Amino acid sequence: MYRKTRFYDWNYYHFVGSWAWILHRLSGLALIFYLSLHIWVINTLTHGPEAFNRTMEYLNTWPFKLLEIGLWGVILYHAFNGIRVVLVDFGKGSLAHKRLFIGAIAIAFILLVIGGVIIASHIVWRMP
Amino acid sequence: MNKRFKETSRRGAIGWFLQRITAVIVFILLMIHYVTYHFLSKGKAPSYDQIIAKTATWWFPLVQFVLLFAGLWHGLYGTWVILEDYVHNKYWRLVLYTLLVTGGAALLFLGTLTIIKVASLKIS
Repeated sequence: MYRKTRFYDWNYYHFVGSWAWILHRLSGLALIFYLSLHIWVINTLTHGPEAFNRTMEYLNTWPFKLLEIGLWGVILYHAFNGIRVVLVDFGKGSLAHKRLFIGAIAIAFILLVIGGVIIASHIVWRMP
Repeated sequence: MNKRFKETSRRGAIGWFLQRITAVIVFILLMIHYVTYHFLSKGKAPSYDQIIAKTATWWFPLVQFVLLFAGLWHGLYGTWVILEDYVHNKYWRLVLYTLLVTGGAALLFLGTLTIIKVASLKIS
């Protein structure tokens, strides 16, 4: 019926494509988990300004903001590797998928630094 | 793209195709979401009033809904694709599929409720 698959086949060649694939899966799972939390937290907007600002005051402390920079990094990895996947599937990306991966990571890294600095400037330096 | 994809696996092929379409939608809207909410809020995380002020136009809640729907679709279908690779028992598959669909419906409901309520609010 189905062939048993392990989470990661260690006999497989550890090349760029296989690592890009497994990181894409892991980052995707992290993002759907975050999206669920985000929908739940943003619902506090409907409880009025006090409730929302109190929640945000808590979430603007440094541990959460550092996590937020990490989240931005995970989003950028998934987004730019995703663009690479679309180019491989629809365009002629498969001819240059390793170079595309390096390009995607480079753009993601630059945007991570820019966005990271902006998010870091929003940190409220106190304990949550 | 394989031109005979309809003959091989129609359902899987449609799922695969929609995953790419939603990916592009989420990519564009999420970048706009980040810039407008987080990067243009002048040195502070966005406050309640700033967020309510953004929803004043008729199209903004609509764009939010498209992002919510496309994001949930992409994320939950992606989770299902991963589960299909590792879960082979059909009863477990049914349980997990049901959980994903009900969880997705609940999140879509909660998200849509937030968008509608926020769109009807006035700045305090």
